[in-house]
Amino acid sequence: MRRMGRAGRRTRDRLIEGDGAPWLALLVATRLLATAIAAVLLVLDPADDWLLALTPYGALSATAIALAPRLRASPSAWAFDFTTVLAFVAASGDWRSPFYLLWLTTLALPATHLPLGPARWLAVGSAAAYLGVAVGGGPAPGYLRPLTSETLVIHLTLPIVLVAGLAYARSVLLALQEERTRRERLAIETERRRIAWELHDSAKQRLHAAHLLVSSLQRRVAPDLEPTVQRASVELESAAADMDTSLAELRSPLEGRPLHEALGARARELSTDGGPQITVHGLAPPLPPLVAAHVYRIGSEALTNALRHAEATTVEVTLAQTDGTLRLTVTDDGRGMSDHPRPGASGILAMQSRAASIGARLTFDVPSSHTGTRVLVEIPAAAPKGASA
Amino acid sequence: MIRIAVVDDHPALRAGLRTVLDAEPGLVFVGESAGDDESLWPVLKRSEPDLVLLDYHLRHGDGLQLCHRIKRSVTAPKVLMFSAYASPALTLAARLAGADGVVDKGLAARELFEAIRAVHGGAPPIESPPRYALAEALQGLDERDRPIVGMLLDGSTEAEIAQALRMTVDDVDHAVRRVLSATRAHVPTATE
Repeated sequence: MRRMGRAGRRTRDRLIEGDGAPWLALLVATRLLATAIAAVLLVLDPADDWLLALTPYGALSATAIALAPRLRASPSAWAFDFTTVLAFVAASGDWRSPFYLLWLTTLALPATHLPLGPARWLAVGSAAAYLGVAVGGGPAPGYLRPLTSETLVIHLTLPIVLVAGLAYARSVLLALQEERTRRERLAIETERRRIAWELHDSAKQRLHAAHLLVSSLQRRVAPDLEPTVQRASVELESAAADMDTSLAELRSPLEGRPLHEALGARARELSTDGGPQITVHGLAPPLPPLVAAHVYRIGSEALTNALRHAEATTVEVTLAQTDGTLRLTVTDDGRGMSDHPRPGASGILAMQSRAASIGARLTFDVPSSHTGTRVLVEIPAAAPKGASA
Repeated sequence: MIRIAVVDDHPALRAGLRTVLDAEPGLVFVGESAGDDESLWPVLKRSEPDLVLLDYHLRHGDGLQLCHRIKRSVTAPKVLMFSAYASPALTLAARLAGADGVVDKGLAARELFEAIRAVHGGAPPIESPPRYALAEALQGLDERDRPIVGMLLDGSTEAEIAQALRMTVDDVDHAVRRVLSATRAHVPTATE
């Protein structure tokens, strides 16, 4: 599950951040083509011989982009590239520059890396920068005939279309990828539930039946067989208990992750733009699945309460282990418990009942900063394993 | 001689119970059902058991509601609730449904026989569930149904409750069913 998640992330990076081989090849080829076009145009126009000396930049930068992944993701490299080629355009003395195509390709990397918002500014900004060069470098728009003005408009529209298109494609790919990950998770969860149900519904019932049958032989067989029956009965009982543990693991909300990871993921799920900032610190030791599931649910309930009722700006989740006791604290800086519904509210009751069923202590108090609420769960190391879910 | 009917949706468990019950002196297996309406009521009528061993997790139906309905019949047998997940919430729900006892499916045969004999012999009702389980169950209930829960736990019959609350017995019956559906939500299952 987790390995798949990581692989999924890698695919996403490759798809979207422009590290995929076909995409990269296309980008480099486009850049080389743009460079070649610039070179041919400059060769055909003997007046600007010295400009030909600038064309190797196109080939060199394409090579650098192909070889250095870090360069591809570096905003300063993008800015350098953009400014350099714009300077070439200015140097060529006409906005209908042989370097225009090369300049367009400098927008590809930032457009595929930036979220939609900043990409919008990039689109408008690049067009404005080009207009600035056009006005400064001449021939100025005012002196142009309508036909050339139209060409200028095209020169200014193209970067906007290019950036918008690439940024949109990126955001769609991202959304698709997220949707796929979500579906995978859902499918796995459904499958786990199905397996849990089947184990419970069939295998476990048969185990119970076998245990009943064998245990009914106790004190009814010849004395020399008694230990065998006794032993078989114990084994069957343990098998049922083992199956309970596996079932608990299968239907656990942790999905095989350690507690701190699951809580971190929950915090990310719950955090919203402009909402309280949620941080998760500390590591949890391996716990029996039932205990971990209960602690997780208490923790997420406390998180939900802090977000819903406390009007907090920060919520801190901490896991710490001392002297064999695991402590989970959820601290917020909101308006505190006094205005909260006191014990009796269903969420708090559910937390208390969960804590009770794993032998943990649950306390609500005011953190040392004197505002907000602190929820503390203390889980003794020897929490009963057979606690019911 | 205790006549026992078994209601469980798994054939292997019914067969196993039949074998061990028949082998035990003093206990007789008189009938079985998977818990569906078609087979359950004829079986109960025909076999007239003294005690029904009733699975809580039935595939086609709800053990709690069944228990309630069985206990409503005129010559109601004792009902011993049988569950793979005995928990405080289940204990409470079983008591509200009128069950005479709750046992875990993981029990050894001998312990099960003891429980059957104890319930048949009129053992005191199921131990009181922990307060938090009660409080949690009350949360999900309608305001007007809460007094009924209290009276049921005190051991009042539906007729007594009807009299005390000036309701008809049928209304009380409906209320109890509502309560049972609501309590069921708190009872953990294999696919929680």
